[in-house]
Amino acid sequence: MKREMKHVKTLTTRDLKESMKKGGCGECQTSCQSACKTSCTVGNQSCEQLK
Amino acid sequence: MDVNSGSVHVVDDIVYDMIPLVEPLVNEGIKDPDLVKAAVVHLAGIPYPEEEIVEAVDEVLELEKSGQLFAKDIYENYVFDFKKRPTVVKALCLHIAHDCNLACKYCFAEEGEYHGRRALMSFEVGKKALDFLVANSGNRVNLEVDFFGGEPLMNWQVVKDLVKYGRSIETANNKKFRFTLTTNGVLLNDEVLEFANQEMGNVVLSIDGRKEIHDKMRPFRGGQGSYDLIVPKFQKVAESRNQTNYYVRGTFTRYNLDFSEDVLHLADLGFQQISVEPVVAQPTDDYAIREEDLPKLREEYDKLAAEMIKRRREGRPFNFFHFMIDLEGGPCVAKRLSGCGSGTEYLAVTPWGDLYPCHQFVGNEEFLMGNVDEGIVREDIRDQFKCCNVYAKDKCKKCFAKFYCSGGCAANSYNFHGNINDAYDVGCELERKRVECAIMLKAMAMMEEDDGAQE
Repeated sequence: MKREMKHVKTLTTRDLKESMKKGGCGECQTSCQSACKTSCTVGNQSCEQLK
Repeated sequence: MDVNSGSVHVVDDIVYDMIPLVEPLVNEGIKDPDLVKAAVVHLAGIPYPEEEIVEAVDEVLELEKSGQLFAKDIYENYVFDFKKRPTVVKALCLHIAHDCNLACKYCFAEEGEYHGRRALMSFEVGKKALDFLVANSGNRVNLEVDFFGGEPLMNWQVVKDLVKYGRSIETANNKKFRFTLTTNGVLLNDEVLEFANQEMGNVVLSIDGRKEIHDKMRPFRGGQGSYDLIVPKFQKVAESRNQTNYYVRGTFTRYNLDFSEDVLHLADLGFQQISVEPVVAQPTDDYAIREEDLPKLREEYDKLAAEMIKRRREGRPFNFFHFMIDLEGGPCVAKRLSGCGSGTEYLAVTPWGDLYPCHQFVGNEEFLMGNVDEGIVREDIRDQFKCCNVYAKDKCKKCFAKFYCSGGCAANSYNFHGNINDAYDVGCELERKRVECAIMLKAMAMMEEDDGAQE
């Protein structure tokens, strides 16, 4: 958090807009391979660059 | 949640009530704090003291200014460039055996045969598949290969030989294979376990939950249940892998809408990495999830999330795959737009070497893309999948979860609507609920951490 706010608490998240600049290296895991095989879930994947 | 920036905020009642009032003003370019405050105080009639409202408006506008609130969707144009991108193949699902020793009632592979003949992949075909992957992976270093079926342990020697072959070509090609195995556990033994622990980055163990539920849907061909045989083996796998890099993975159907009980049963068996998912079925199947089941299923996800919080506090946590969300180190926008990568980065290979967009399409000739000898022959199919993203789907455009599911499963869309650019509506409802629970769990953890720090 940049500043302690009284009414809002913000979780630390990746800035999606920023990720446009350097993203797309493609080294990350393929979503469907990991555990599901019947549905697509991408939000739980981790970026290889940020590991 | 601010969809386009990816920010997640936990807000009090004042901010919650004022967001719908402030958002249209900001969208019209009215960002002057005094104007916004005046508008909220006078127009809103929301029951809070004026000084509190003024303070909250300042905080909301500060978030807007830093790009964490009311962020615009700037990604649609990015997609146009994105469509032109050259794609490489980085993951294969090897159908090492189109045969199975179980006869699961909901199997999309029809007891492992995928609408075709029973067959085992030969080492030669598998070797060509790995060569195809290396040759088509460009400068990607990390390559994934899942040994899938049917039941891959029915062709175990070939699995081992292919791992050995894969390892032998890694250095010369500057590649790193990440092998995974999906198994029903029937043929699992110590030798398999030792090899898997040495070579497999992840192992997916199929089990549905409570004994009566599991045995009903996952019997042997003779009708006997498989639960008692596999549970001790799976427990051994989990422990031998230090409770990481594996999943027990179950399917729930209309016969166990109270699936949270199955998840908790798996947790009670000692498993800490759990994935239990809704069945994908034709609407005509008696076990298919129906729209009318949604309220009950939403309730089940809430129940599960509450129990997870309780167990976390009690020091016996477990992970539920669909509630896992990586907010800080999650994927870039490019990844979130491209989704699962089926048909482009990810392909399925049949025992005889045919290539399909993913395992769910295997056996549907309309989607036969090529083979391991000739490579991709039908580039039109690949291009069709390349364009399959959240902006190609009307239903996704306004969905808050679009950057978490990335437009959902193309195969589900095809099964229900006959094309890959639609969305499976029941699946969408459940996905939204799961994302909501996942974020709630993160927010709870943050607040508990803050409380802990203050104490």
